[in-house]
Amino acid sequence: MTKRTLEFAAAGLLLTALVVGLTVPPDAVQGDFQRIMYAHVPSAWLAYLAFGITMIGSIAYLVTSKLRWDRLAGASAEVGVVFTGLALATGMIWGKPVWGVWWTWDARLVLTAAMFFVYLAYLALRRGIDGLERRAKRSALFGIVAALQIPIVHFSVVWWRGLHQPPTILRPDDPQIDGPLLFALLMGVFAFTVVYAALVRRRMDLALIEDSLVEASRAGEDVAGAAVTAPSVGAKPR
Amino acid sequence: MSDWGWVAFAYLVVYGSLGGYVASLVFRIRRARAEADRG
Amino acid sequence: MVIPFGAVALLVIPMAVGIETTLLARIGPGLFWAVVLLFGVLVTQRESGAEGPPQRDLLTLLGVDPAARFAATAIANTILVLVFEVAVGAIAIVLYDPDVVGWGWIALVLPLVAAGLAMLGTIAASVTTGLGGRGALAPLLIAPIAIPIMLGAAQATEGLRVGAGILRWVLVLAVVDVLLMLAGVLTARPLEES
Repeated sequence: MTKRTLEFAAAGLLLTALVVGLTVPPDAVQGDFQRIMYAHVPSAWLAYLAFGITMIGSIAYLVTSKLRWDRLAGASAEVGVVFTGLALATGMIWGKPVWGVWWTWDARLVLTAAMFFVYLAYLALRRGIDGLERRAKRSALFGIVAALQIPIVHFSVVWWRGLHQPPTILRPDDPQIDGPLLFALLMGVFAFTVVYAALVRRRMDLALIEDSLVEASRAGEDVAGAAVTAPSVGAKPR
Repeated sequence: MSDWGWVAFAYLVVYGSLGGYVASLVFRIRRARAEADRG
Repeated sequence: MVIPFGAVALLVIPMAVGIETTLLARIGPGLFWAVVLLFGVLVTQRESGAEGPPQRDLLTLLGVDPAARFAATAIANTILVLVFEVAVGAIAIVLYDPDVVGWGWIALVLPLVAAGLAMLGTIAASVTTGLGGRGALAPLLIAPIAIPIMLGAAQATEGLRVGAGILRWVLVLAVVDVLLMLAGVLTARPLEES
């Protein structure tokens, strides 16, 4: 599928999801607030998917040493941090009128916040390292260390909050959801996933151009003095 | 704020952020291409 | 200089939250662990003598296994963090007068926490070697991943205080330590080569 097709599909699906979310009947318990879930749940789903793809890209880079995997990892992380931020924001915007506070120490919210900071750390690391292979290797290794610990973070936070679970009928994702409301939710998940794919592809484009600029400037450096010139980079990237 | 007010707020944040990110991508790609063409 | 920094933190916090003794006794242990997590890792980020590229190349030529280097650095850092814990812990007990129960368990928890933070710090230091802004970056890399360490420690001391079972939290600390050991050993050679 060409990039343009993917992007049009993403835009179309997003618009459809928006319309569906706004026109389905309100929830029996939460009323119209349920509509925020049609954006919150997909964002949270993408937060985890993007993280997983970053992990896959990291492992694939370490195995194959092909920079394309590193570009995937980095792109997925950047798009992922956007969706994680949205998951947090929509969670808070839902929580304020429904629970009365912006933040509750609900396990899932805390975990999403922790994931947000891991993303930020990963992106900050990438930004700080010079050299494409070095950046790829180090961020991949950090990513894998982080991924190994994430399950523990998950369990420890869930156990911690399990001690103080507030009695609440109103949970962010109502398991009783069905019918048109479920359709609106799934539509959102599908649309956001396609949007994620389109964004990651474009972000990888950007990474390719920026990386080749780095390569080009490196090729200009003297290797072993003026007697030897470094190989120059090939055709200009488009 | 009414129920729909909160919903509108949430959707504004979501679609505004996505739009903003798309715009930033477009801008950064344009700028990178310009620099690549110059070099 | 990190111990005095941690001590200052403990001194300054009551100025912000109030000096009511019951409150401070209640939150004292938690604040202690927070200071250990946030400031204690700084002791693992000092530039050691063996870290410059020429020194590392020499060690590699001498046949020193990178995994062994990781282990040695991690052990040294564990001791440093343990010293930090003990020193700052004493100050926390003096300033906050908390109810300290279960010294046996605490004697187990302290080194488990120290080992976890030390290994995280060692890995973070190798990942950020040679980077300019390393000072601010390593703590950010460490803090979110160290959440289970802090939860384990804080819930353990809290559990001891109220007389609840704490085996689960000691287990969390142990599992974290094992996983970090694995991660540190597996990533030692690739990090060395980058």
